[in-house]
Amino acid sequence: MIRVVTLDSFDEKQIAKLCQTLYTAFGVGSEHSGQKEVPADLSDPLDAEKLLTEMKGIRAYEDDKVLFITSRKLKERELAGGKAPTPGFAQYNKSRAIISTHGFKDLETSFKPVARNALQQIGHLWGLHHCLDPRCSMYPPWTPSFSSGEPTFCTFCRDKSEQKLRLAKS
Amino acid sequence: MPEGSASLQLAVGDRVVYPNQGVCRVSAIEVKEVAGQKLTFVTMHREEDGAKVMVPQTKVISIGVRKVAGPEDVKQVFEFLRSDSDKADLDWKMRARTNQDRMAQGGLIGMAEVVKGLQVLSELRPLPTKERELYDNARHLLVSEIAAALNTSDCNAEDAIDLVLFPPGRERPKRTAAEFAPRPGEGDEDLGLDADLLGLDGELDLPPDEEEAPAEEEESSEEAGEEDEEAEEKPRKKAAAMPAEGGAEGAPKKRGRPPKPKPEGAEAAAPKKRGRPPKPKPEGAEAAAPKKRGRPPKPKPEGAEAAAPKKRGRPPKAKPAETEAEDQDADLDDDIEADE
Repeated sequence: MIRVVTLDSFDEKQIAKLCQTLYTAFGVGSEHSGQKEVPADLSDPLDAEKLLTEMKGIRAYEDDKVLFITSRKLKERELAGGKAPTPGFAQYNKSRAIISTHGFKDLETSFKPVARNALQQIGHLWGLHHCLDPRCSMYPPWTPSFSSGEPTFCTFCRDKSEQKLRLAKS
Repeated sequence: MPEGSASLQLAVGDRVVYPNQGVCRVSAIEVKEVAGQKLTFVTMHREEDGAKVMVPQTKVISIGVRKVAGPEDVKQVFEFLRSDSDKADLDWKMRARTNQDRMAQGGLIGMAEVVKGLQVLSELRPLPTKERELYDNARHLLVSEIAAALNTSDCNAEDAIDLVLFPPGRERPKRTAAEFAPRPGEGDEDLGLDADLLGLDGELDLPPDEEEAPAEEEESSEEAGEEDEEAEEKPRKKAAAMPAEGGAEGAPKKRGRPPKPKPEGAEAAAPKKRGRPPKPKPEGAEAAAPKKRGRPPKPKPEGAEAAAPKKRGRPPKAKPAETEAEDQDADLDDDIEADE
């Protein structure tokens, strides 16, 4: 089950549409599990890694994946390869991920890139790595062509995610 | 032997890398009795999923188990990934063998080479399924080890690698097959193929200085004997991988006994051919027609030269004795007409 948790107010219709897209991509039930408040000690831009570990009070089963959505900016990360733009972050092979709609006007006009980003972060939760195919949602998100693609997976990534889902405990 | 595993002292709690499996943590070192023998086993748990692996301590190094790379090794990996020098091998067999070797050895640089090589190749054409899987496995192992080495999350480690492989704001370049073509001097010469293996005779119109080279090479390799052949395989492979520097000075040093000094006047001799020497021909047989292949023709009976060609199909039914003589005459007439 994929649980979408909003950290700011969003259009309900668009969130329902996003849940529908996630269901189509993964074949797993997806629902909006309400809105939560960001911990008070976190300031803008949000530290995604810290936020994911500090968020409390999210009810989910062991195999559930939780996707947080915020309109606030996420802090760029300083990595060994350089400064990483951070439209989203996921705990690889675990259960929590976050995406940001910062930089987009609203969810309706920029649905595709947001949905693609959501697919990628949940893909990371299922153990998927970045892909070589520019049409796949697992393609690195900082590339220029990322935001223009459809929220779908390539054959390899879809097969792999299905395999991971079959191996899940519940 | 894998890099950095010449001497490996393991203790409980150490993080190690098991080739093709990933990062493991040593959970116990204990003596167990197996088939009447007391063996010391190193028990490891894979960090990714907790799978348990037990390895006899004597086999740890030969398997390729090594400690997790340090920050210096990671720096080297990033330098390698940044470099634009790596060209993918277009020969799929060679590529598959090299990549499998790298994966089996389990070195950090080896995995980076697999990832980079296949990524560069994917800029030319989409990867086939097997190589796509190999790419994914190599990437997974590389990411998990870099994450362990830098003590960061897998997501950060992967983004760090991809920031180098897919620089922000730039699309991946489209490559052409011409970019992967071997440069002059990197061709078949470096693979250690001599004229015989390529199916060429020594009768090529080559300049005299180039004609000498294969003959020397053959002699030296023949004299070195079979024992050296196995030992030479690996250096040959290495030599094939190394770019040719051109000229005699840059050529890799040949192994084995040096060639015997040739007697004077033997310079103009044709290069020695491999295989059984041809039989000496009898005198006067030079003008003989080349031997035809296949079954020799049956000796024809005398007077049968004018015989009619054998007819196809079912033989005519046996006719009564009275008409036999007349029919034979008629058949003969038909045949003569047909021949005319």
